Amino acid sequence: MQPTITIRPLRPAVAGDAPTTLDLLISIEPPQPPAELQTPQRPPLNLALVIDRSGSMAGEKISHARKAARSLAAELTSRDRLAIVTFDDEVRVVVPSRRVDSALPFLQAINTIEAGGTTALFDGWLAGALQVAEHLDGAALNRVLLLSDGQANEGLSDASAIAEKVAGLNQRGISTSAFGLGAGFDEDLMGAIAAAGDGTLAQIESPDQLADLYASELQGLATTSGRRVSIGIRPQHGAELVDVINDLTVTSAGNLQLPNLRQGQTLQVGLRLQLPAWTPNQPITGIRLAWDSPGVERRQELRRQLILPVLSAAELRELDVDLEAAEQLALLQASRDRRSVIAALDRGDEGAAFASLESIDLELAAMPQSSSISHERQRLAEQRQLLASDRNLSRKRLRHDVLRSSLNVWDGTNNTQED
Amino acid sequence: MADLPAAAPVPSPVYGLEELLALAGERLGEEVTPRTVRLYATEGLIDRPGKDGRRAVYGQRQLLQLLLVRTLARRGLSLTAIAPLLAAGNSELERQLAQLEEPPATNAALDYLQELQSAPPLQSPPDLDLLEVLGAPICQSAPFEEPSRRLSPRSGGRSSSRWHRLALAPGVELHLSDSASLPPPGSRREAWLQRLLDRLRDHLDDLS
Repeated sequence: MQPTITIRPLRPAVAGDAPTTLDLLISIEPPQPPAELQTPQRPPLNLALVIDRSGSMAGEKISHARKAARSLAAELTSRDRLAIVTFDDEVRVVVPSRRVDSALPFLQAINTIEAGGTTALFDGWLAGALQVAEHLDGAALNRVLLLSDGQANEGLSDASAIAEKVAGLNQRGISTSAFGLGAGFDEDLMGAIAAAGDGTLAQIESPDQLADLYASELQGLATTSGRRVSIGIRPQHGAELVDVINDLTVTSAGNLQLPNLRQGQTLQVGLRLQLPAWTPNQPITGIRLAWDSPGVERRQELRRQLILPVLSAAELRELDVDLEAAEQLALLQASRDRRSVIAALDRGDEGAAFASLESIDLELAAMPQSSSISHERQRLAEQRQLLASDRNLSRKRLRHDVLRSSLNVWDGTNNTQED
Repeated sequence: MADLPAAAPVPSPVYGLEELLALAGERLGEEVTPRTVRLYATEGLIDRPGKDGRRAVYGQRQLLQLLLVRTLARRGLSLTAIAPLLAAGNSELERQLAQLEEPPATNAALDYLQELQSAPPLQSPPDLDLLEVLGAPICQSAPFEEPSRRLSPRSGGRSSSRWHRLALAPGVELHLSDSASLPPPGSRREAWLQRLLDRLRDHLDDLS
């Protein structure tokens, strides 16, 4: 079972008598297991749930956090392991990692969790990670689920330093998801953790969404066929990669880090290549997708090569563009351009922030108004309103949207991303 | 492991199917079904069980074979590739298992985290005034006071032992004899490694 890679050029040819700017959309579709295998075949899970119980979690938030933790424990089976860790200024291992033969010991322990002091987020993560690491299993999905509503204000708190540690652990087989709750969490920190951790980022505005989030995370883990996914783009014969629209982390081997391969979730990568006048039948670029599969020692890989017909520049201009590719590329660009809105907000330049949002919408307005495009423009309209009324929430939503193209972001509507 | 005194003279235990499944399941951390065992037995991957009346009974050998098949299959090896490995003697099976049961990744993640845990807190920049007073880098390790316990050289020429060469770092190797008894993974091994580390430290202190 392998993923499918589709390479779609915006125009299906290159010029033989002049340089070409070649826009490509690469779609990666995770494999669909045969129907009869779908449920029983999921790999075992080795999880630690790390819950912020700092003072700000008091009241409704902590009670929902308990409820959602109970539902998570109830969903797991005796093939899975779960540890529960809480942190405020102190870290407490509420339930050391154990097999979920029965949910009862978890439920009892979860009920003792109360809100307390400050937020030692890194130490909490570390304690959860240790619980997972002690039972690291190559055949399982090993992951830390980190829930926080606050800024790390105790212990290690620098976002890039924390992300570096999280990435180091991911290299060694344990991923991390980051769930920010409410209005007070640090969206840049949580985004950086989820990206470095090869996990899911969720921004939950209301604590009653927690149970849905955990269910979706479990569902996602159950249908994950590849982690530590990377794509290498290797242009040939003088072609040059000049732009990647997605905001992807570059790995130490010079490849681009992609989100996990999850069933039903197609990954889209937008590229721009610059080509000199091209010779017919000459390969333009090699593409190599690589990933780890649970229970398989060796890294998996898939290679593709792109060869396109060569026309004259005049003929090339007459060709129709691939509308679907154009739409996906525009959506990727719209995600990326929100970065300039955030930058304007951080400078305190609200006028520029509005103007940037406006220009993103203008680009989309010029496209055929498909349902995806209208949906995105709707979202932009909401963000314009939010920018005026709630700057904090607005920034969180913008960060969320920026990260959509580079990591697994929970959108709160379930994980069937058919839009 | 075969050299551990406790393991040698004890007669091979006998298990019923349920017991075998429970033992294997516990050690592998996954459920093993009766069907799997029967399949492996018909495929000749594990030796045929003995009989106790009408009951099928399994020994240490079948347990080892079962553990090895599952461990290798989980790593993506096909049953045909595994089959030839299972004909080996019990001590060889045991040795292979011991090697496999400690995948390098386990150590890597745990070691990494333990290192993070013991690292000085990086976030609080060191107190600059104090640094000036000390006039020295803050991470300099405290000198070891007592290079006491020396390793007494191992007595006698142990015959016919095979040596494993483990490259730990450029220019650093560890030679490990077959006859050295490694404690099982877990706290005992950690303590053992700690003792080795102490001794190594003593030797290095002597060298410098």
